[in-house]
Amino acid sequence: MGKVLMKGNEAIGEAAIRAGCLNYFAYPITPQSEVAEYLTKRMPEVGGVFLQGESEVAVAYMIFGAAGAGERVFTTSSSPGISLMSEGISYIAGAQCPAVFVNIMRGGPGLGGILPSQADYNQATKGIGHGDCRMLVMAPASVQEAVEMVMNAFPLAEKYRNPVMILGDGLIGQMMEPVEFPDHLKTEPSNKDDWASNGMDHRKRSERNLVRSLFLDPTALNDNNLQLKAKYDQMKKEEVRSESYNSDTDYKVLIVSYGTMSRVCRTAIDALKEEGIDVAMVRPQTVFPFPEQAVRDAAQKESCKQVISIEMSMGQMVEDVERSVRGGKPVHWFGKCGGDVPTPEEVVDVVKSLIN
Amino acid sequence: MDFSLDGIVIIVGNYGSGKTEIAVNIAVQHKRTGMGVRLADLDLVNPYFRSREAREVLTQMGIEVVLPPPQYMNADLPILDRGVSGMIRNSNGLTILDAGGDDVGATVIAALADALKDKPLQVFQVINPFRPYTDSLEGCQKIREEIESAAKIKITGLIGNANLIDDTGPDHIYNGQKFIQELSGQSGLPVLCITVSNNLLSAIDKAKLSYPVLPIYRQMVPPWRKTERFEQ
Repeated sequence: MGKVLMKGNEAIGEAAIRAGCLNYFAYPITPQSEVAEYLTKRMPEVGGVFLQGESEVAVAYMIFGAAGAGERVFTTSSSPGISLMSEGISYIAGAQCPAVFVNIMRGGPGLGGILPSQADYNQATKGIGHGDCRMLVMAPASVQEAVEMVMNAFPLAEKYRNPVMILGDGLIGQMMEPVEFPDHLKTEPSNKDDWASNGMDHRKRSERNLVRSLFLDPTALNDNNLQLKAKYDQMKKEEVRSESYNSDTDYKVLIVSYGTMSRVCRTAIDALKEEGIDVAMVRPQTVFPFPEQAVRDAAQKESCKQVISIEMSMGQMVEDVERSVRGGKPVHWFGKCGGDVPTPEEVVDVVKSLIN
Repeated sequence: MDFSLDGIVIIVGNYGSGKTEIAVNIAVQHKRTGMGVRLADLDLVNPYFRSREAREVLTQMGIEVVLPPPQYMNADLPILDRGVSGMIRNSNGLTILDAGGDDVGATVIAALADALKDKPLQVFQVINPFRPYTDSLEGCQKIREEIESAAKIKITGLIGNANLIDDTGPDHIYNGQKFIQELSGQSGLPVLCITVSNNLLSAIDKAKLSYPVLPIYRQMVPPWRKTERFEQ
């Protein structure tokens, strides 16, 4: 299959199907409703299911049910909808079930607005639900990367038996770009018979598999939390991904930016280069785990005098950047909220203000 | 420009087929000839990339743009400005109605039935064969039927908009032309024009093109790109 022109939301839906996921439960919300719209047509063509829940709360537990039965399953929503799902996500993480959540972020807090935002960074990376639960969170910067991340999300969710999130801003969902789909995912031999509640008939052992997040015995609950922590530590070792831009120069400023915001920064970096000013960028592709080492190494370069986190939020990722840089260089923040995406010109001005 | 339109022109097509980009470019090209041009954004279903994005450029050129009031511009609400029916009733020169995607987006046309009654209409279906669901003749035909049924009007012509944005090459244009030719033959609908990005025009062998060309100056761009300036 050659390239096709797709909206991010459509491509996310198609990518899930090509990853072998035939279960999609969701509730519509701008700016991600086109995923549901696309899969309304597409799922029946491949023998899959799209079922609209009565609310995002219901959807989260529909996901829990399917995941607990060992089915590949995913949902998509946008900021307020993800807030409603967060209780269920915590249950799914506690019960150690794999599932994929896509958040196409809009402006907040509250109902906010429908335009692009990255203001759910803290929620996604640090506070997705109650208890000690975390998710692996990947942040695409293009429609093509969204496709690849969605397709990778399913095996990663299964590897860790934990929810995985694709964190995109509204633009990722709404913009159109040419995209190519990799071949269908070769499904790894599943370990689901070891944990899924999928019937006793084909089970090798005689014990039941219980899917639960309730552990009344404090030792058992602590043990479950230790298992979760071990998984999150393993993610930090094995799943960190980031990309550098213009980093082989004697840059004076290091930008850290992710998602479509990083594409605005790229345009700004190119413009600054034409003026003889070198600026580098580290673009986290995973935001949990955060690419601490890559940011630290890039900040430590001798030529680098200033570090700035540029994000469509009021300063969330900047805390991870500060933590990574560990006081070695001054760390700044620039951002906007509400859907008014910072322009390349604004980024150029901010960078210049740091070096003058 | 290789073709000329007047009266009421309605642009329909599936999601992301390029309706808005085409509506804006047709409006500008006709304005250049000195014609009075009006553009109404009837896209009630897509919250992001609509012709309202190009409002400033169009207004500066003297094109009358009918949009919902500014305070509702980013509302997730289907607002149809009452100015639209007035503009249809008193139309002279060229009046372009940019409808929303698919049958859902075209439904709004049916709501204007009273104003459109007895007016000669030209209704163009925009086709990009590199989009899902319009990559086959059957797919295009199905969408045509769905739109006609929802909008309660007949489509009268086709616009070929074969493109992969920045990844478009001459072969995509030639293959797209072949596709729209076959679709025209099968459906009996004439082809108004095919589109070619302004940046690609010099790489195209004009002798291979059998339809009028609408050069596209891209206005619907993400924030890290500049809109393409219309040639003076």
